Amino acid sequence: MAEGQIVVSGLTKHYRKVRAVDNLSFAVEPGRVTGFLGPNGAGKTTTLRMILNLVTPTAGTATISGHRYADLEQPVRHVGAVLEASSAHKGRTGRNHLRVVAAAAGFPAARVDEVLALVGLTPAAKRKFKGYSLGMRQRLGIAAALLGDPRVLILDEPANGLDPEGIRWMRDLLKHLAAQGRTILVSSHLLSEMELMADDIVIIAAGKLIKQGPVGTVVDSMAHSTRVKVRTPEPDKLIAELGTAVNAQRSDDGLLYVTGVEAPAVGAAALRASVELHELVTERPDLEEVFLELTAGKAAIR
Amino acid sequence: MTATTPTTTPLAAPTLGTPSSAPARLLKSEFLKIRTTNVWWLFLIGAFVFTALSLWIWMGTGAGQINNAAAASSEPFVPPEGLSPVEVETARQQWELEHSLTRTLVSVAANVYTSGQFFGLMFAMLLGAILVTNEYFHQTATATFLATPHRTAVIVAKLATAVLAAGFFWIFSTAISVAAGVMFFNAKGYGPQLDQWPVQRAILFNGLAYALWGVLGVGLGVLIRNQIGAVLTGAISYVLGTQIVQGIAFLISVWLDATWPLKIMVAWPAVASSVMISPEKLYPEAPAWWVGGLVLVAYGVVFGVVGTLIMRKRDIS
Repeated sequence: MAEGQIVVSGLTKHYRKVRAVDNLSFAVEPGRVTGFLGPNGAGKTTTLRMILNLVTPTAGTATISGHRYADLEQPVRHVGAVLEASSAHKGRTGRNHLRVVAAAAGFPAARVDEVLALVGLTPAAKRKFKGYSLGMRQRLGIAAALLGDPRVLILDEPANGLDPEGIRWMRDLLKHLAAQGRTILVSSHLLSEMELMADDIVIIAAGKLIKQGPVGTVVDSMAHSTRVKVRTPEPDKLIAELGTAVNAQRSDDGLLYVTGVEAPAVGAAALRASVELHELVTERPDLEEVFLELTAGKAAIR
Repeated sequence: MTATTPTTTPLAAPTLGTPSSAPARLLKSEFLKIRTTNVWWLFLIGAFVFTALSLWIWMGTGAGQINNAAAASSEPFVPPEGLSPVEVETARQQWELEHSLTRTLVSVAANVYTSGQFFGLMFAMLLGAILVTNEYFHQTATATFLATPHRTAVIVAKLATAVLAAGFFWIFSTAISVAAGVMFFNAKGYGPQLDQWPVQRAILFNGLAYALWGVLGVGLGVLIRNQIGAVLTGAISYVLGTQIVQGIAFLISVWLDATWPLKIMVAWPAVASSVMISPEKLYPEAPAWWVGGLVLVAYGVVFGVVGTLIMRKRDIS
């Protein structure tokens, strides 16, 4: 069992009538940013909370470096977590909130000031939590997660409430931490953000695993949806030249979308038929399209 | 708010120190939780006000009782006419109680030195409840249980913190009461009565009551997670509930012409703690003081154990 590896195995959680998480298995490797994706209600948060011993699984196990979270020698030194529905006392200052956590883990107050500086909250350290903006609250959560210098970081929708600059800051931070060999598991529904940040992705829907692997591999596995966009004044001539083995669809704005053939073949056909081409582009699916295709019909409210 | 982009190793050489023992860490964390919010000093002001108020009341009535006893201690007991020998004996005991200067002094001293108890116990209970409900109300339970996944350890730390905080309130209230009480007895020309066991017992068991109410509060907070719900339930059942229980017990005893409803009234925690502390019988049918103590300890144990078991099972989401 690799140090820093998260292994989820047959994890299941039943609430009264809903199978929030259904026999879910996947592994998260150290040194990489793993995006944990799924439609709302897919069971992402429940899964993360089960990994962290906050929610008791109905069945299955989740281990970090081979141990259940509750069995880790010093959990805060090993794992840091930023979770939704996690907050601080409204009347407590940000610094005091961190001091409470640090005290429970046995860290000195000096460490609190270090992480405050690290997330850029030093100027607001002695302000009460109720005066914090959403972005500042998220930074405080990240500061708390980093207190123990953990080798595993688990973040649930950390981009929520961050402005574009904050999102970029977080992306750089997480990539940097992963480059140090740490394990980063981050759930999100911001797919474009994930495409920029994640090395691996785990996609779940309705509590079940849909797809897991490096981002590039997952996107390429959906290559059948690659299509060629063509702009031409004589689409009928081109379609006739391409033949029946090719599927061509016309859009309202005069564009032609061709699937089942590569762009060079379309270009060659146009040359043979003496058809003018104004645009010829290969469109590969991005993560968002792959995600929507993979989870289509599974995002229903259960 | 400007973002700081980490350019160098962001977690280089973290100052993590060497951790102390787990119980010490948890207690430190729980006390920080209390110290870094406002509730404790608001309650302390409340405790001060109610201690001062009840000192004023107990000293007023106590002065009258002492004067009566001192004046009447020379008079002989004259049994009322038309009573059976048993009833005469009861009346004589009652008369002696009211006309014995020594016993009056002890009784007044016990009341004065435990001034502010009624609301002090309520504050101890509410503080214990808030220790738990705050975690849900402010959604800090996640951070707490991430730092310490051993939930039993967390709840035991909360119970210990509630007991220690209640003890602090007891010392605070007792220090004021004893200081004022000693001056009161001195002004009336009597000793402070602090060498009398019933008086000492009242003060010590007052402390035990504070501790046990702190434990009850933690249990209440676990059972009723909602902050406002727990505080209202605790305060209302403590203040109004006691009146209602006493009223109902009295009505049933009159209706059935029996004394057992008044005896079993001790099963209500607030009555139990009064029975435990009262140097004389709280009311003629009251059971012995240690019965009240046992009832309160039993509540403390049941609430503590049930609270721990629930907390261990409950999903934090």
